Amino acid sequence: MAGSQSALREANRAMVVETIRRYGGLTQVELAAATGLSAATVSNIVRELQGAGAVDVRTTIRSGRRAQLVTMARGTGLAVGVHIGVRQMSLTLADSAHEVLIEQSLPLPHEHRADTSLDRAALMVVDLLERVGSSLGELLGIGIGLPAPVDVATGTISVPGILRGWDDVPVAQVMSKRLGVPVFVDNDANLGALAESRLGASRPFQDSVYVRVAHGTGAGIVLAGQLHRGFAGTAGEIGHVQVDAAGDVCMCGSRGCLNTVTGGPALIETLRASRGPLTMADIIGLARRGDPGCRQVVGDAGALIGTVVAGLAIAVNPQCVVVGGELAETGETLLAPMREVIRRRVPLNHIAPLEVLKAELGTRAESLGAVLLVLESTDLLTHWFDDQTGS
Amino acid sequence: MTAGTTQRRPLLSMRQITKRFGAVEALVGVDLDVHAGEVVAMVGDNGAGKSTLAKVIAGVLQPEAGLIELGGEEVTVPTPAAAHALGISIVFQDLALCENLSVADNIFLGRERRVMRGGPMDRDGMELAARSILRDLTVNIPSVRTPVRELSAGQRQAVAIARTLTSEPRLLVLDEPTAALSVVQTAEVLTLVQRLRDLGLGVIIIGHNLADLRAVSDRIEVLRHGRNNGSFESATAHPEEIIAAIAGAGRVPEPRWSTAP
Repeated sequence: MAGSQSALREANRAMVVETIRRYGGLTQVELAAATGLSAATVSNIVRELQGAGAVDVRTTIRSGRRAQLVTMARGTGLAVGVHIGVRQMSLTLADSAHEVLIEQSLPLPHEHRADTSLDRAALMVVDLLERVGSSLGELLGIGIGLPAPVDVATGTISVPGILRGWDDVPVAQVMSKRLGVPVFVDNDANLGALAESRLGASRPFQDSVYVRVAHGTGAGIVLAGQLHRGFAGTAGEIGHVQVDAAGDVCMCGSRGCLNTVTGGPALIETLRASRGPLTMADIIGLARRGDPGCRQVVGDAGALIGTVVAGLAIAVNPQCVVVGGELAETGETLLAPMREVIRRRVPLNHIAPLEVLKAELGTRAESLGAVLLVLESTDLLTHWFDDQTGS
Repeated sequence: MTAGTTQRRPLLSMRQITKRFGAVEALVGVDLDVHAGEVVAMVGDNGAGKSTLAKVIAGVLQPEAGLIELGGEEVTVPTPAAAHALGISIVFQDLALCENLSVADNIFLGRERRVMRGGPMDRDGMELAARSILRDLTVNIPSVRTPVRELSAGQRQAVAIARTLTSEPRLLVLDEPTAALSVVQTAEVLTLVQRLRDLGLGVIIIGHNLADLRAVSDRIEVLRHGRNNGSFESATAHPEEIIAAIAGAGRVPEPRWSTAP
């Protein structure tokens, strides 16, 4: 059987599906380039998959020429990405072609509890599916991003104290029991890294670091195109690198962590005396409108985060650093000081300078990453062929 | 306080508001401050005086005693029309929309724009303006010509809020805006409240769901038996403290302005 004509054909077909799924939509020419198959083989496989209803082909324009864009047909499955943040939850419902069908966010209270928030997430998933005329039967799975290190195997937070009210909650189990679909849980910075490396700014690079700057700072590391989570899922937790030995004690129990200096509460406190009580959204809005105090605070945070990211960059030697999270919405106010520090401290490589880029997917990166996590963890082809033989 | 402190003057400042219905003390010496770009949540048990206070602000009820300042000037609000003229709008729980009329017609109901004085209605102008208001609010309503009966409860709430914005108010009072809404609709309305805050309006939101109110408000004011019973910063307060204040258990923190210079 091995090495036979049909096994080869099968393997090529799987590779084509895998590639389309990874990039959402590709032209036949791009597919050939991405898979290394000949144009004729790709054309044959696409025609076959199209005949079986697994992919859609439509005419598009690439570099001024007509081309055939191949996407996964809707109906091969949907995935929901849920990003649970410190003060907001965002849901993205997309199909296997990464086509976003609907999005919705919900503001969350300070120190929201796992039971209430997961309950609301479950209700929203059902509600959103209904809005696009679908149901739980079409759902391949749910991806959940949490602002804390996650043990991916059990879907539980692996470091206690970082997200109050969520310790020891088997998040994946609670949600899959509730909705009866597979649930995948990961750290939000990891998901942002995944999304940016597949669909965003770090798409051209094999090795990249994604830095998420929001209420806290975290990083996701992609090595050779794969997420590197570490043994207990704490890889890239740069928010807990010590920057001030005599600083405040952090939620994690350590002292003077980066988050105690550049985290949301620290920024809000720094501005309280002169600007009154602000929220993170206020600080970002004011910085964008040119308020000097807010720009100062955001810029200083960028420089300090830059020193820590520089250390990480020396350790893993990425080709680029992508900066995302809410604070990245201030653009160069955050990025310029960060880039300067990183460039100054990572002088080792003269082949190509380390790129520091703004996230292309913006604040959507994490929930899209959760969608990708579901799609990459689900064997779509098996799913589809099971359906075919079943009917 | 240090030098260079920006002294923020409240948009609305109410002091010692008292209102009685016969022997019933609905409000007794109630204080309330709302700043521009601030969302203040009013919570309390049934009969705590939340709706009475909202009606006093909206000019529906007259207080027996107390001082109301708007933008630093002392004002009286004898009628709802006076409140409207002062830039105060209120959205009541029942929304009061006309089912058979379109979204645009509802938004301009009673304030129809006319091509000229005494002339026919400027339908195109109203539809364009309605569309622009809904876009400002980032509300997802497919067409302003849709009759309101075809909208979801969350979309109706958005239309009711959009209607108040035609008069460009400074202060908006929302009475139970998320009662009887599904989670996604609640999410839409809460996002809308955040948007109103970003537009620089002062917003008073009355409700019962503490999680939702803590999520969107800057400050939570508790009323109990018609009296102030605690003021909490939403970004740091614990729900247990707020519930204790609503139920009348435990220590009552002083309102913030009583300690301010």
